[in-house]
Amino acid sequence: MYLNVLRYLARRVVFALAAFLFFIVAIFTLPRLIPGNPVDVLVSRLVMQAQANPELIHAVHRKFMEEFGVGLPLWKQFTRFVAQLLRGDLGTSISMYPRKVSEILALFLPWTVALLIPAILVSWAVGNFLGVLIAWRRGTVLDRVITPILLTINRIPFYWFAMVMLFIFAVYLRFFPIGDTYRWGLSPGLNWNFVVNYLHHYALPFLTLVVISTGGWAIGMRSMTIYELGSDYILFADLLGLPQRRLLAYAFRSACLPQVTELGLNFGLMLGGSLLLELVFNYRGMGSITFQALSTLDYPLIQGIFIVLAAAVIAVNLVVDIVYGLVDPRIKVT
Amino acid sequence: MKKLRNTRLIISTGFFLSVVALGVVGPWVYPVDPFSPSGKRTQPPSWEHPLGTDAHGRDVLAQLMHGIRTSLWIGVIAASIATPIGVLVGGISGYKRGVLDELLMASTNIVLAFPPILLLLLVTVFVPVRTRMVVALLIGLTSWPLLARAVRSQVMSLKERQFTFLARMAGLGDIKIVLVELLPNMMSYVFSSFVWLMSGAMLAEAGLSMIGMGVTADVSLGTMLFWAQMIDAVRRGLFWWFIPPGGILTIMSASLLLLATALDELFNPKLRGR
Amino acid sequence: MNTLLVAKDVKAYYSSPKGFVRAVDGVTLDINPGDVVGVAGESGCGKSTLSNVLMMNVQPPLKFVGGKLILEGVGDLAVMERQKVKAQVWGKVIALVPQSALNALIPTRKVGAFIKDVLGYHLKLDARKASALAQRRFQELGLPVETLAKYPHQLSGGMRQRVVIAIATLLNPKLLIADEPTSALDVSTQKQVLKMFLHLKTEHIVRAIVFITHDIAILRQIATRIAIMYAGKVMEVGPMEAVIQRPVHPYTCSLIRSVLTPEPEVKERGLSHLAGDPPDLLQPPAGCRFHPRCPQSMAICTQEAPPVVGLGKDHFVSCYLVLEGCQC
Repeated sequence: MYLNVLRYLARRVVFALAAFLFFIVAIFTLPRLIPGNPVDVLVSRLVMQAQANPELIHAVHRKFMEEFGVGLPLWKQFTRFVAQLLRGDLGTSISMYPRKVSEILALFLPWTVALLIPAILVSWAVGNFLGVLIAWRRGTVLDRVITPILLTINRIPFYWFAMVMLFIFAVYLRFFPIGDTYRWGLSPGLNWNFVVNYLHHYALPFLTLVVISTGGWAIGMRSMTIYELGSDYILFADLLGLPQRRLLAYAFRSACLPQVTELGLNFGLMLGGSLLLELVFNYRGMGSITFQALSTLDYPLIQGIFIVLAAAVIAVNLVVDIVYGLVDPRIKVT
Repeated sequence: MKKLRNTRLIISTGFFLSVVALGVVGPWVYPVDPFSPSGKRTQPPSWEHPLGTDAHGRDVLAQLMHGIRTSLWIGVIAASIATPIGVLVGGISGYKRGVLDELLMASTNIVLAFPPILLLLLVTVFVPVRTRMVVALLIGLTSWPLLARAVRSQVMSLKERQFTFLARMAGLGDIKIVLVELLPNMMSYVFSSFVWLMSGAMLAEAGLSMIGMGVTADVSLGTMLFWAQMIDAVRRGLFWWFIPPGGILTIMSASLLLLATALDELFNPKLRGR
Repeated sequence: MNTLLVAKDVKAYYSSPKGFVRAVDGVTLDINPGDVVGVAGESGCGKSTLSNVLMMNVQPPLKFVGGKLILEGVGDLAVMERQKVKAQVWGKVIALVPQSALNALIPTRKVGAFIKDVLGYHLKLDARKASALAQRRFQELGLPVETLAKYPHQLSGGMRQRVVIAIATLLNPKLLIADEPTSALDVSTQKQVLKMFLHLKTEHIVRAIVFITHDIAILRQIATRIAIMYAGKVMEVGPMEAVIQRPVHPYTCSLIRSVLTPEPEVKERGLSHLAGDPPDLLQPPAGCRFHPRCPQSMAICTQEAPPVVGLGKDHFVSCYLVLEGCQC
């Protein structure tokens, strides 16, 4: 029995590693597909972007020739690249030279995590609860009215909804600040002043994210529950005289399992959405830094962001798979 | 129940077609150039400019109508690219099973789990000039996995049925069975999938544009939002500028999704599930 | 002894966009204590629908159209609300082993845990007592007690079928209805399941059984009475030996001939020597429903449905041939 669990886990881990390797190879290959010397191209963009002084540009150029390993055979470039990665070295930023990419990311990542993870969990819980409720009352007025509304909410673009929310609640009604992560001048820390101010800034992006993602979860849960309620085991339990509540609990349990997997698959989608949302709210997380990296064409930074987010998506999916293996008896004992 | 579905079908088609009409017929009725200034900057709605002007003095309504065209175009092309890929990958994977299935599903899951926007980012960095075609291609090539998964599970269930068995007995090849025997049975499903892929592609386009990685030198609903965001339209209270493009996008995308679900329920109530 | 369940002229139709599908169309059936009533017929004759109708498990698109269903000690189920029937009857008085018994166990719950749910709800037993009762019952029915600690996917098809039967009879219902309980099983497992049914009856765990199947050979091993269904109607009903040895209705004859002939080639052809297909229940033929396929059809058969005629003790048939004193 434990052998099965181990085999399952081993497969998931191998899959995760393979996926990560795939992305590493992709990110390694892409800049090297540019004809000519990639460093020339990347640095020349810096010259076009900002009127940097020639000395700085030379320093940057030299630094990147070294980091990229230009001139070395490809396989050596690759092993260097991987070795740097393993040391946690994501290279040096061009636009914020000479700061290290990993330093910059360490500054921005926690804010995104603080926004995204609670929003995902809350919307997952609320959405699933709502979905079961609608499934239970399927075919009634509640279902007929709410389901199309949820479908519509599911299709509202994150970023646009963020703009509308910001306009209504911050610009027009002035309930919330019009953006930023916390008031300028405060320093982050676990003190009353900061936490209250942070939460005040946090509320609107958080709610926006929750409202938008709840729709999708609810729709998924509704159809899964309805599917399970029509299954043979529910019929049998019904014919045994077990009460509605109990039947719903059985269906809920079975319907939850695929929703756990969906959690992993949706993480990536929500991550993408929250990056855009941060932009609208001027929330200083990965979204802002991604936008900055893109607009300055800071390739090392883009690459670093990409690697970190890829790793996060893969890790979350691995965790979800492991949790799934622990809750679904069909995997635990075969 | 039956009647209800039909009303949903009619309402969603109605909404969608009115937006399409706005994009297709609108420019004839309202021939204002969306690309160059036609009035003062940031004017609120007036008789002259029904939806006001943007920060460059360009007419928002004219941009909106042009943007609908761009978004629709990208939606249709991207869905036309993604649908065959999804059907093929899912079909082969569900029919053949075994190692090939594992491999195909593993790659499907990689693409699926990964935020498409990031993948697109990476590529767009290296494609500085992006026409509609380039954007549609990028979106199309990254949005097939959900369809592949759904098709796979359907093929797996269809495979168990009698006619597949008979076809195999008759000595038809695997690919041929998928194309000749299974596909016709899923045509309606494939069609509704095309509709929801289109819905998703239009959202993806706007998302890309939002961070300045969408079509260059053209107006789409996404680029409108991008410029509004860049020039801080929200905090400056220029609601006529940023509300319409997102609203239209929501209506188009949601009506297409509703249409897809209504079609699904209408054609094959039994073939649902993920 | 009182009759356990009396079904009188029961009609239940499926409403479809094209009209009503008359799946059960005027079925009259008495079920007495001690009976094992076998209901036989081709697929699509309404016997599966009948199994649900007998316990008033009627949900759209199926509609109860008319008739009475008198359950001893309870009354006419047909006039009771579904929720009331469920609370008073299901599981306790009448239990059903559904056709899809292989998938009837909750995939995420161990067999024992599910049993605790059932006993906890109906008998208000705590976990320990429930598990003791479950163990005793499993032992009595010859099921391995370890099964209680297993998930459904760990059990074989035959074992799942037997577990479902054991669970359905946990509360000692008076009547057990089993819908095709043996058709998905191999021959040796079929034997075990049949043995279990007989045990349930001889030990008085249940008082009567309705056994629905397309396989007359199986009925021969277990039934005391047989009802032959065709196109939503009971064509012939009577004591098992009487019906098998001296069938009267031409449909019964062909059904029996197809199954009981020793020559394998005839057996395999099944009912194919009967010309035509079972009728469309949207528009059943006028007169006797069997007349388009009946080898002995007469003029009157096409016009008027034959009356039900009694032939000795408990043997009824609905055919004009009887009136003329013929047998097939």
